Amino acid sequence: MFIILRTVQPETQMDDALLKESAPRIAAIYEQCNADQPNFGVSEDCFAASLQKTISKYLAGASSEPVTTEQVNDFLDQIQAADLFMSLACANGNERAWWEFDTQHRGYMERVARHLAKTEADAQEVIDTVYVELYGTRVVDGERISKFSTYSGRGSIRGWLRTVIWHSLVDLHRAGHDEVSLDEMTETIGEGATHAAFAEQPSDGEGAMIESITRDRFRTATVSAIGNAFASLEDHEKLLLLYYHVENLKLREIAKLVENEASPLRGWFQRKTQTRDAGGRTHESTVMRWLEKTYARVLELFKTELVNVHSFSQAEIEQCLEMATQDLTAGNLFAGLKSGQIS
Amino acid sequence: MSNIEKMNPQETQLQGLLAEYLTSRKPSNASTGHLDQDTLAAFTEGNLTELEARSAVSHLVDCSFCRHITAELVRLELQFAEEPAPSRSQEAQPAKISEVLSGLLTKMFGTSENAVFAHEDKDKEVENEKKDEKED
Repeated sequence: MFIILRTVQPETQMDDALLKESAPRIAAIYEQCNADQPNFGVSEDCFAASLQKTISKYLAGASSEPVTTEQVNDFLDQIQAADLFMSLACANGNERAWWEFDTQHRGYMERVARHLAKTEADAQEVIDTVYVELYGTRVVDGERISKFSTYSGRGSIRGWLRTVIWHSLVDLHRAGHDEVSLDEMTETIGEGATHAAFAEQPSDGEGAMIESITRDRFRTATVSAIGNAFASLEDHEKLLLLYYHVENLKLREIAKLVENEASPLRGWFQRKTQTRDAGGRTHESTVMRWLEKTYARVLELFKTELVNVHSFSQAEIEQCLEMATQDLTAGNLFAGLKSGQIS
Repeated sequence: MSNIEKMNPQETQLQGLLAEYLTSRKPSNASTGHLDQDTLAAFTEGNLTELEARSAVSHLVDCSFCRHITAELVRLELQFAEEPAPSRSQEAQPAKISEVLSGLLTKMFGTSENAVFAHEDKDKEVENEKKDEKED
């Protein structure tokens, strides 16, 4: 005895002209999907509505400039259509789709959950919770809301499932720990747990005695110049540095992040650094070149401020870097940042 | 880093300073709310358009929570990179579907009978509401 869920009909808000222009492409994608899985029972209207909602929300919503047909078609070409088709069918309660989903993905989900969770019991609890969410227990206006309806098809369904499982583990952890911040929570799950480290709290009397006015002047200038240099970078450069130094991603992990040839992050760095891979995977050495170029830019900005704002000579800049490096060893230089004493 | 010899001494010193500066900054959460799971997953796979990626990148610079999630997702993706891609089952639809959904419903409602009744009750409730509205 099966419970047949009401068909999900996503709301649509999309410009009429764009709707008309994207219709043939969407119809072609639907035809292919339906030919592959005719038993999933997904109507063309439902499929089109989902894609139109995604275009409206994510593509049209990403910019104040009007979206062109070409952009829409490129966007549609990148959609993981088969995964989306299955998710819509599951959201609608189609038995065959659920069976396919379970057969194809349950084992994988269990492996991911076991990898992330501390115990087998936690892993199983997370899988059960995720399945319940995917099925949907909330009823709004007489329609059961399945978590599948939040999957847009922009990424693969397995990538999406990894994210869902990860979040579910965070929620499970949060449920067991009342007063832990979100940041602390995220740092106890997964491999990042072993890398999480906060800067040491400043000791009392932080202004650990400075030997001379020169050292004090150098330190103040260094903290200001490095902060401003970082702030002046482009967002992509900042993110690369944050991934490498704060999230402790290795070069091969960053290379994985930009593995997709269509990755906008990869495209941005290739244009900025005028490097271009032969295609295929980005090599670790390419990521290293991106980092080197970013360090060079930070150094340039850093020195510019020291010269223009603090009136340092080249010799003083060298001395400044030397002293700052010594200060790092003592753990003094940026100790006030964490507590907000220095911005 | 393996290329450390290739950087000039000042760049090497600066790298150390920068690393310390970045790790010493107070973690922040963006004031505009977090990226949804779908966007986080698509970003990690490099499937966002340039347009979408711009706002996602800006958010990730400011939001340590979302950024940390994407870093973990990249590690997860690498960990499971050798997994075979999902493939369609060649089996005919068996009675197993009943087991899959029954199992789910049992977990939610306790027993499969309760699940059926719970759903039927819900359906009746909705029907009754609609009838009431019409009469009004």
